[in-house]
Amino acid sequence: MIRFEPDRSQYPQPGDDGKIEIDLETGKYLKLWHGPNHPGITGNMSVELTLCGDEVVEGKTHVGYLHRGFEKLMERRTFIQVFPIVCRVCVPEPDFNEWCYAQAVEELAGIEAPEMAQWIRTLILEMGRFNSYMMAMGGIGGALGMGVIGQWMTYVRDLMLDRFEEMTGARIYHMFILPGGVRGHLPEGFSERMEEVLQTAERYLADVDKAMFTNAVFKARTKGVGVIDPALFEPYGVTGPNARAGGVAKDLRKDAPYLVYDQLEFEVVTETASDIWARARVRRRDIDVSIALIRQILAKMPKEGPVMAKLPNVLHWKIPRGETYVAGESSRGEYGYYLVTDGSGYPRRVNVRGPSYTHAMALLEHLIPGTNIADVAALMVSLHTYPPEIER
Amino acid sequence: MYEFFTTTNLGIALLITGQVLLIVVPLLVALAFLLWADRKVWAAVQLRKGPNVVGAFGLLQSFADFIKYVVKEIVVPAGADKFVFFLAPLLSLVLALVAWAVIPFNEGWVLADINVAILFIFAVSSLEVYGVIMGGWASNSKYPFLGSLRSAAQMISYEVSIGLIIIGVIISTGSMNLTAIVNAQAGAGLLSWYWLPHFPMVFLFIISAMAETNRPPFDLPEAESELVAGYQVEYSSTPFLLYMIGEYVAITLMTALITLLFFGGWLSPIPGLADGIHWMFLKMGFFWFLFMMTKAVVPRYRYDQLMRIGWKVFLPLSLAWVVLVAFFAQYGAFWGTYARWTTGG
Repeated sequence: MIRFEPDRSQYPQPGDDGKIEIDLETGKYLKLWHGPNHPGITGNMSVELTLCGDEVVEGKTHVGYLHRGFEKLMERRTFIQVFPIVCRVCVPEPDFNEWCYAQAVEELAGIEAPEMAQWIRTLILEMGRFNSYMMAMGGIGGALGMGVIGQWMTYVRDLMLDRFEEMTGARIYHMFILPGGVRGHLPEGFSERMEEVLQTAERYLADVDKAMFTNAVFKARTKGVGVIDPALFEPYGVTGPNARAGGVAKDLRKDAPYLVYDQLEFEVVTETASDIWARARVRRRDIDVSIALIRQILAKMPKEGPVMAKLPNVLHWKIPRGETYVAGESSRGEYGYYLVTDGSGYPRRVNVRGPSYTHAMALLEHLIPGTNIADVAALMVSLHTYPPEIER
Repeated sequence: MYEFFTTTNLGIALLITGQVLLIVVPLLVALAFLLWADRKVWAAVQLRKGPNVVGAFGLLQSFADFIKYVVKEIVVPAGADKFVFFLAPLLSLVLALVAWAVIPFNEGWVLADINVAILFIFAVSSLEVYGVIMGGWASNSKYPFLGSLRSAAQMISYEVSIGLIIIGVIISTGSMNLTAIVNAQAGAGLLSWYWLPHFPMVFLFIISAMAETNRPPFDLPEAESELVAGYQVEYSSTPFLLYMIGEYVAITLMTALITLLFFGGWLSPIPGLADGIHWMFLKMGFFWFLFMMTKAVVPRYRYDQLMRIGWKVFLPLSLAWVVLVAFFAQYGAFWGTYARWTTGG
C-alpha cells in the first residue's frame, strides 16, 4: 500500500508548549458542530469541532442536554423507590445499575441474597451485556455507513429482549433485581428458548464477521485510526473493552469476582492494537464469551431454591450509617455505585461511576485532534459511550 | 404524412419532441420502480420489509413519494443565493437526462446517432458536478459546502479513470459511436463481448461508476455520520426531488454504459438466440442490482482513501491498460481481438 502523507505546512503547527493556537479570524478554520442532533452522534451530546481542511484540530465535548438530576432525586426516595430511577441511568444496559445499587444496599443493610438469586442475577447481567454489545457493534457499523450491521444486531437484540420480557415482564427497564434477591424464578422451558436465541445470534454474528472484519473497506477505515496509547489508560481512567483492546487484561469479573463469576470459566479477551478495529474486535469476541457464559450459567445454576431474602417492611426500612462502593465489569468498563446512608429511610448520597463519563469526555477530547472529520463518529462509537450515563 | 415529418421544420420539431418523450417518460416511470426495487433490496438485506403499503407490494410507493415531495413547502435558507439554489437541482436533472440522447437501446433505436457519442456523454457527465457544487455553495451552510467540495474533487478524479478506460474500448472498436461499439462485440455471444479482452478494466469501470455517481461505498458527499446529507441538507420538496431523480437517472445511465461498452448492449449472450432490447434491459437490471447490493453491505471510504484509490491505483492502472491495448491493437495481437475494425467486427 502506498502511504499518503499530506502536505502539513498548511496545518496549524503546535507552539512551544505543545498547544495549537487557533485564531478563527484567519479564515483557515471552520467550526462545525457534531450534535446534539446529528446522525453521527450517539444520544444527546455534541462535539464542537474546529476543522482545518478535512482535519480536526480541536474537539470540545458538550454535555448537559440530557441532565435529569437522578443522583439528587435518589436522595428523596426510599431505598426501594429508587429502583425506577436507577435503571434509567443507563438506557441500553439498565440491569447493571440495578445490581450495583441493590448490592450496595445489601452490603449496608447486612443482607445476603440467596444462592439462586445470585445465579439469576449473573444471568441477567450477562444477557444485558450481550444486548449492550449488540448495540455497540451496530453503532460501529452505522458510523461507517454500514447500516446493515445495526439492523442485524437489532434483530438479535430484539430476540434477547423477548427473553427478558418473558422472564421479567418488561423489555428495557426490568427492575427484576431488588435488594435481597430477584423478583422471581425463571419461567418453564427458559433454557431451551434461550438456546434458540443464542444459536440465531451465532448465525448472524458469523455474517457480521464476514461483512465487517474481513471487509477491506472496514479495515482501511478502522486499522490504525483512533489509537489510544496504553500509557494513557491510567490517567484517563480507561477500563473495560477499551483497555482490553490495548492489551491490558483487566476484567473485574476475573480480578475481583462478584456474584458467581468465580464459579464460571471464561477467558479475558484482549487485543493489542488499541485502535478502532481492535476495540470492535474485542467487543465481537466478548459477545462469544457472553454467549458461552449464558450457556454455562443455565447449565450450572441450581434448579430451585428461594430467590428472595427476608426483608423488613420496605416502606419503613432504615439502614444504619455507613458507606460503600460496589463496582463490576459492565459492557463498557468499570461501573460502580457509591452509596452513603445516615440511618434514615433515604440514601444520603448516591454517586454513579459510569465509564462513559471518562471515555466520552476527556478521552474523546484528547483523541479527536488530528483525526479526519469522517473518523469522529466512528471514534466516538468505538469507545462505546452512552450519553445518558454521562449526566445522571 | 411522411413528407411532413421529414421535410417541414414543424414536423421535424414534433418528431424530435415525440422521440424525446418516448425516452424520458419510460425512463422516469422505470425509475420509480427502480427506486422501489432499490429500497426493497436494501430492506431485504437489513431484515426489513421495505415499502409495502401503497399499492400491491408497495409498488406505487415512489408515486406517493412524488406527490408528497411536490406538495410540500419549499424552504429556502436565509442567506442562500436563490437563483443558484434553484438552478442547481434543475441542472443536475437536466444534464442527467440529456446524456440519454445518444444511448442506443437497440439496433438503430437511438435519438441522436452521432459519431462522437462517448465524447458527448463524457462532456455532459462532467458538467453534472456543477449541479452538486452550485447546490452546496448556494445553500450558505457548512455541511452542504463541505459535501459539495468533496463531491467536486471526487467526480473529477474518477472521470479521469473512466475516460482512460473508455479509450481502451474506443481503440478496440475504432469508433466513438455506441452502436458501432456494440456491433463490434457481435460474434460468439458472451465470449466476444469486451468484458473478456478488457477484463480487469470492467471492475475498474464499475467501481469508478459508483464513485462518479456518489453511490456507496463512495457516497462521501452525503455521508450521514459526518455531513448529515452533504449538499442536499438544505433542500426540501421539489428541488430535493429533482436532485434525487437526477442522481438515479445518472446511475441508470452508468448501468447503460457498462452494458453497452463491455457487455454487448442488446446482443444475445448465447449465439443463436435473437438479439433485442430485452437483453439490454436485463443487463442494465443486473448491474442495477449490483449497485443496490453494494449499497446495502459496504461501509464508506474516507475521503483521503477515496482520492488515493482514484489517483494512485485507478489512474496508473487504466493508463497502463491504454498503452497495452494500443500496442495489442497496432500489432494485431490475440487474433485481432483488440483491433476489431481490422477483422471486420
